[in-house]
Amino acid sequence: MSAAVVNADDELEPTLQSILDQKSLRWIFVGGKGGVGKTTTSCSLAIQLARVRRSVLLISTDPAHNLSDAFSQKFGKEERLVEGYTNLSAMEIDPNGSIQDLIGQADDGEGPAAAGGMMQDLAYAIPGIDEAMSFAEVLKQVKSLSYETIIFDTAPTGHTLRFLQFPTVLEKALAKISALSSQFGPMLNGILGANGGLPNGQSLPEMMEKLESLRETISEVNGQFKDEKMTTFVCVCIPEFLSLYETERMIQELANYNIDTHCIVVNQLLFPKAGSDCDQCNARRKMQKKYLGQIAELYDDFNVVKMPLLVEEVRGKDRLESFSEMLIKPYVPPVGGL
Amino acid sequence: MPSLLIIVFILQLTIHSVNTFGVATINSLLWTLFNMLPVPTSKAAAEQNDLKSQFLELRKEMNATSSQDEFAKWAKLRRQHDKLLEQIEKTKSTLDSTKSTFDSVVNGLRWLGLNGVRMLLQFWFQKQPMFWLPKGWAPYYAEWLLSFPRAPVGSVSIQSWSIACMAIILLVSDALVSAVGLALAPKAPSKTAEPRKAPSEEKAARAEESRSQSEKKEL
Repeated sequence: MSAAVVNADDELEPTLQSILDQKSLRWIFVGGKGGVGKTTTSCSLAIQLARVRRSVLLISTDPAHNLSDAFSQKFGKEERLVEGYTNLSAMEIDPNGSIQDLIGQADDGEGPAAAGGMMQDLAYAIPGIDEAMSFAEVLKQVKSLSYETIIFDTAPTGHTLRFLQFPTVLEKALAKISALSSQFGPMLNGILGANGGLPNGQSLPEMMEKLESLRETISEVNGQFKDEKMTTFVCVCIPEFLSLYETERMIQELANYNIDTHCIVVNQLLFPKAGSDCDQCNARRKMQKKYLGQIAELYDDFNVVKMPLLVEEVRGKDRLESFSEMLIKPYVPPVGGL
Repeated sequence: MPSLLIIVFILQLTIHSVNTFGVATINSLLWTLFNMLPVPTSKAAAEQNDLKSQFLELRKEMNATSSQDEFAKWAKLRRQHDKLLEQIEKTKSTLDSTKSTFDSVVNGLRWLGLNGVRMLLQFWFQKQPMFWLPKGWAPYYAEWLLSFPRAPVGSVSIQSWSIACMAIILLVSDALVSAVGLALAPKAPSKTAEPRKAPSEEKAARAEESRSQSEKKEL
């Protein structure tokens, strides 16, 4: 287990090599404030991981999907191979939209479909449960797909934390419901009739079964998320105050949820050439240097990866690949710069 | 053993003073005194105070640190701050539960020690005369009233004596309070000095009235 590898030096290696080496990792979250390059980082990480793993799935949970944009290829709710790879797939899920699909699906089909109306009521009765349930549904789907590693390109910070909190919240709520139903189930069945039919042709036992299976999935995944051998969180930030502030907050909250995090990617670093007369660049470089110093001081037990700001947009397979190299081999800034 | 008359009087005085100072004040005073003893809660309370002062200091330092210029320092302070806050809340909740247990125990003991003893005495000595009235000093119905409920006629029962004690304590304490209030009040112009006397007189009259009323209540 190389995540625990601590170099003899004071500083940990400034790369994501530890994630590549840690074969037991199943879930990798990439998160940070909006616009710091989460998608670029997660795509790059996915490309690097695809070289050393059997199969990798990249999931975007950001409502503003950028995977299609980054790979210049359309992705949807179903996983699809990324062009040019045999073991890297990607999919985009909409945490708000998929509850509609879930309900719709249930309405179309037979059997469990009966629970549809009830599910709908439930989904709109409890705030946040729609997102949680769609998340659980996705997790269930993903689990059955047997990918070796799954990378989540998450939505901006606030969203991420809520997302990670869901399993705990939902698990509690569902445990309550299950307990209630097992207590009052017989009584309700007595009232409702032998086959437990609810008003709109729904069936209580079936609905409870569905909820129960959801709960099981969630509790299993929840356990995995809290296992540092299986899950890690990669924080992406840029050397600016607000981004750093959010990162610090996120790291503290992750610690509260017992989710492991030991990597920070500092993106969009400027490295003006020696003698550059670009005032903005030089001023910005100075500011970034200040915050880099602060990061080094504060996160001395993290792998801090420094990524430069490129002159071109990081889009398409080739550029992503060359960008991803820098996650593993530290970028060497031009000599003589500020 | 001191005379029963004195014991009853002192008991009524204590009850009155407890009611005047307020249960909460007395409880908090007892709590402070209790924490001065070498008990585990006193250690916890001291720790809590220590944590609080640490927290305030940390907060001051954090406010003095610019989060933009010295982010690392600020963030470290912030981590300490959050940790300390959590700790304080935890110790506070345990301390609070101890205090509420303490309060309920003290309340129970106080009730037993005051009202319980009063009832016990009134029950135990209900047939015993406190003292005898001179013969023919009061009409029969007054004698009967004073000896109510079970003391021999012609004597004063413990119940009557308790009520008399309470009434006189009330009267005196009211008088004292208003006297102190008068003394402490800013010197008013001489014109208003005259009508100001009236309320205290009125109060005395009211106390008198309440006394007779309370005696009537016995009926």
